[in-house]
Amino acid sequence: MHKKWKFMISKVLQMIFTLWAIATILFFLFRLMPGNPLAAYIDPTFTKEQQEILLQQFGLDKPLWQQYFIYFGNLLQGELGNSFFFKEPVIKIIWNVLPNTIYLMLSSLIIAYVIGTLGGVILAWKRGTKTETVGIVLTLFTRSAPQFWVGMVVLAIFSFKLNWFPSAGASPAGIVYDSEIEKLLSPQFYKHLLLPSLTLAVYLLGLPLLLMRSNMMDVMNEAYVDMARMRGLKEWRIMLKYAARNAALPVITAMAVGIGYAIGGNVVIETVFSWPGLGRLLVDAVTSSDYPLAQGAFILIAAVMVFMNLVADLLYSLLDPRVSVRR
Amino acid sequence: MTKWRLMSLSAIVVLLASILTGCFGGAKKESSNSDDPAANSDIDDPARVIRTIEILTRPQSSAPDEYETANIIAEAMRQLGLSVELKVSPWEQLSDIVWYQRDQWDMTGWQMAARPERLDPDEFTYNLFHSANAEDGYNFVGYQNKELDSIIEKQRVTLDKDERQKLIFEAQKIVAQDVPYFFNVHPTLNYVYNNEVFEEQSIVDMAGLGIKNFWTFINAEPKGSQKDFILNSSDTIQAVNPLYISGSVDSWITELIWDRLMRVGEDGLPKPWAAEKVEWLSDTEVKITLRPGMKWHDGKPVTPEDVKFSFEAPMSGEVPMYKPFVEIIKNIEIVDDKTLIFTLNAPWAAFETASLAKINIIPKHIWEPIINDLKNKPENAESYQEKVPVGSGPFKFANWKMSEEIVLEANKEHFAAPKVDRWIARIIPNMEAALGMIQNGEINFLATYTGDAQLLKQKVDASPNLAMVSSVDIGFRFFAPNLRRAPFDDVAFRRAIASAIDRDMLVAVVWKGFAVPGDSVISPALEFWKNPQLDYPSGGIEEAKRILKDAGYQWDKNGRLLYPEGKTEQLGK
Amino acid sequence: MKSEEMTSIRNRAYKNKNLFSACIQQLLAFLRFFKQDKFCMIGAIIYVIFIILAVFAPVIAPYDPHEMQKKDGQILFNQPPSKEHLLGTTNMGRDIFSQLIYGIQPALVVGFSAAFFVVVVGTLVGLLAGYFRGWIDTLLMRMTDIAFGIPFEPFVIVLVAFLGPSVWNIVLAMALLLWRDTARVIRSQVLTVRERSFVEAAKVSGASHLRIIFFHIAPNILPLSFLYGSLAVGWAILTEAAVSFLGFGDPTVISWGYMLHDAYVSQALSRGAFYWFVPPGLCIMLAVMAGFFIGRGTEEILYPRLKKH
Repeated sequence: MHKKWKFMISKVLQMIFTLWAIATILFFLFRLMPGNPLAAYIDPTFTKEQQEILLQQFGLDKPLWQQYFIYFGNLLQGELGNSFFFKEPVIKIIWNVLPNTIYLMLSSLIIAYVIGTLGGVILAWKRGTKTETVGIVLTLFTRSAPQFWVGMVVLAIFSFKLNWFPSAGASPAGIVYDSEIEKLLSPQFYKHLLLPSLTLAVYLLGLPLLLMRSNMMDVMNEAYVDMARMRGLKEWRIMLKYAARNAALPVITAMAVGIGYAIGGNVVIETVFSWPGLGRLLVDAVTSSDYPLAQGAFILIAAVMVFMNLVADLLYSLLDPRVSVRR
Repeated sequence: MTKWRLMSLSAIVVLLASILTGCFGGAKKESSNSDDPAANSDIDDPARVIRTIEILTRPQSSAPDEYETANIIAEAMRQLGLSVELKVSPWEQLSDIVWYQRDQWDMTGWQMAARPERLDPDEFTYNLFHSANAEDGYNFVGYQNKELDSIIEKQRVTLDKDERQKLIFEAQKIVAQDVPYFFNVHPTLNYVYNNEVFEEQSIVDMAGLGIKNFWTFINAEPKGSQKDFILNSSDTIQAVNPLYISGSVDSWITELIWDRLMRVGEDGLPKPWAAEKVEWLSDTEVKITLRPGMKWHDGKPVTPEDVKFSFEAPMSGEVPMYKPFVEIIKNIEIVDDKTLIFTLNAPWAAFETASLAKINIIPKHIWEPIINDLKNKPENAESYQEKVPVGSGPFKFANWKMSEEIVLEANKEHFAAPKVDRWIARIIPNMEAALGMIQNGEINFLATYTGDAQLLKQKVDASPNLAMVSSVDIGFRFFAPNLRRAPFDDVAFRRAIASAIDRDMLVAVVWKGFAVPGDSVISPALEFWKNPQLDYPSGGIEEAKRILKDAGYQWDKNGRLLYPEGKTEQLGK
Repeated sequence: MKSEEMTSIRNRAYKNKNLFSACIQQLLAFLRFFKQDKFCMIGAIIYVIFIILAVFAPVIAPYDPHEMQKKDGQILFNQPPSKEHLLGTTNMGRDIFSQLIYGIQPALVVGFSAAFFVVVVGTLVGLLAGYFRGWIDTLLMRMTDIAFGIPFEPFVIVLVAFLGPSVWNIVLAMALLLWRDTARVIRSQVLTVRERSFVEAAKVSGASHLRIIFFHIAPNILPLSFLYGSLAVGWAILTEAAVSFLGFGDPTVISWGYMLHDAYVSQALSRGAFYWFVPPGLCIMLAVMAGFFIGRGTEEILYPRLKKH
């Protein structure tokens, strides 16, 4: 018991260290990059004096190490500064788009992991047959095809040609929802959500599918499964009741890590489907040198990733007691 | 062991890959130096070889036409014996270099967009070519011509239209001679609307601006059950702020939420709007009579104090972008509860268009405390974003979902209330999606389209419910040479380059016919102001080489272009 | 069958005492297994074909990929596939098939360069961390944690947006992060190997650390490195395509990602120009899958272990 607590605490400390290191890297990344950090303010009437004012306003005239401390002080208070481009607090801007990213991410992960897990079970069941080979090749297809390519083709077919689904945005034009709940209950929202989350899910399902399959195959060799077989239980019963349950636990852990990956990397999907999310915001901020916003978005994504890795580590250690002692 | 097989295989593969790296140059663009008709040169003078010229351009994804034009221009310059390289840079970084490092770049792509204020020739002529703007204004090419300066200043105060026309014609002639810009084209503005949703006659076409304009927005009459005006934008909305000129979409919104004393009418001339009457008492005094019954969106009435405040606020130092348009005002006097008299420091021919039709009327009761508060802070009014912006215009702010859409509601109490219920701008970065959406009805006005106009026409022709209207832009595309850096400081060199750029080919290839060649900052859309007889170089490569030869330029034995004798390359590379 | 085979193979591996004899053994095993393993054979064939096409691209591709094709003085925009242009032409009149062929070069270069870094850096980090343990291990593993915490695609985009759109900046960005999976996996493998008796024996006989690492341990974990290397080829090609698609790619290099970007920007799908949009995507798929096959990456993929992802 004592060892387990020690392990968890050391993991949390590691996480804090990692977050600090990432925040520092980001600080230097954005400040030391080539290009004028005021490049977001091109306008015809700015004089030298006005530029000076802006420089002061954003604290860019102080020595680097001072900027660093101000930056960290702000960070710890949750103050991420004001966006150069929108001139509004970074937190407010991120908060506006964050729900959309979360919806997209969660729905894709759920679809991917449900289909993936089932697919893994089926492929394990059909091991050695042609179905298995075909299934594996198809799964590899899904992991090799570029997401944006699949997205554009899906959009072209289901939206432009067949007109079954809307082509852009998270909700129909002009709709005003009274609350988030109302939005989540409206079928229109899901119509907009379906294509992008399916496209993302197709890419994500490879991992849980193959992971589940390999775990199943391990489990199926275990003694208690043989016992069940000898007792005369039907094959599918064995699959579901015994094998799948035990094989699924690591997949759940993988999902925790998947959340970390999914929250930041969907720039292409958001561009293709014009989905108003964090990925697009980040890229737009980067191209317009709006580095408070870019920094803020980056830190948020990194924080989620690191946190989710921690969750995954802890879950894994719960499953496999040998690991917590060794590492 | 299977994995070891992998290692050996990988080693072979890596070996071959290194051969590849050597061959990698095969896919890269090679610049070719063709030989010179004044060929068979045996001059070998490396000091006179003109350096590699770097052309700045935006990336293909955001500005496909600029990118392709840059390629074509580069190719033309290479045929003259120059070494040319493209430097692709996103807009923000490109404009940063051009604006803040005015002696660091050679040549850049640029464009002037169509805005209602630019229907008066003063804006372009003064801002782009007057030497006062060379150091930190729009004259970033660094053009200094005293003769032109005085003509520009004269036309500003010439109130007689025909006299002024003569001056503007003269100005264009000088510019065409001196070639401070490499003009490309005036694109046609192609907008598409759904004619099953809107009555055709209610869509207003303005010369130089096309159908995407204020008048269409308030005039458009819905035919059927769809009562919303839904259009697209590919850029995010930056701000909804009457004291900030932020982006093109933002300006459409500002025009709708806030009123102005005058507006540029459908014919391109300013007409009274929030002002019922505009009377000039003398060259420098104008009497404004306000329209009665105007109300702010929060219910309070619009008063002359609001108007006076709106014109004085930019002088406060908190509204830098609008300051140049009110600087000329000496005094604003409130005569009674609906009349004001503006007194100017000096006559300004463009005052109505550039000031009365440009300054947004803002509520004093909201903005005065804000501006006073800002005086103690380093920020200015541009950073202030009202939660619910309040204006007195024909549309009211309803809802703004960042990165997704903005919704404006019709202000039915306005004196020119719109016929539609709502005006909705959807943010769609995916141009294919936008094209699909106008076809399947998700939007009913295609306001932003950076793609192929020919394809657009095909799609429109194939759809019975779509109508496309094309008009020549008052804006234009050009490439700007940096006149501070040799060889661009030599008129002959500039004329040669201008000659080598085949503008007809640009129209055909880059714009697929949806443009007209440009030779002036004044567009053919402005019939009254455009000088139809300009001597802009257009003879092609042969003509270009002749110009260079006559000016003393030579080619070396490798076909590279050399400075005239006595001049050497001073600027690196 | 497979797991027993694996076990015996692993046991055999740990018996290897040095790089040299391992190589000999493998070369012999090579021929034997090559025929049996269908996946690997297919992957290898695909790559060999790609390499040949890439090396002989100037000969095979009928036109210059940058050249705007003209016929009777007219530029051939958006031509559908025909005899002269097997896959038609782009919006600017360039031959698509030639672009496709030339596109193999950057794909392979980016893929292999990135894979190289992944293998070298990841293996070194894993080796040193696993062998020395202690503070070296902590330091290197914290660095790995940091690399894991930085979101991959956004980081590549930030770096490329700041450093400029060049193929090598993309490779650099990938090299800075992609080694993280390899490092973790190699490290846990090293932890196992170092306990083996032959390592003990080497230590006792006075071999230096470097010698033990590179002569005794390395041969036994290199297969895993190359496995991740082959996976990295796939990830690298996909990332370059995504970055190019968004417009941050190298505009002077015609890669498949650039072709897709060009098609997207020119509204290829709205024109129905599937012949422009589909082939580059298929090529990317093929290249990535071949990478998966060739490393028997199928093994890692088919039997993934949780900690490795």
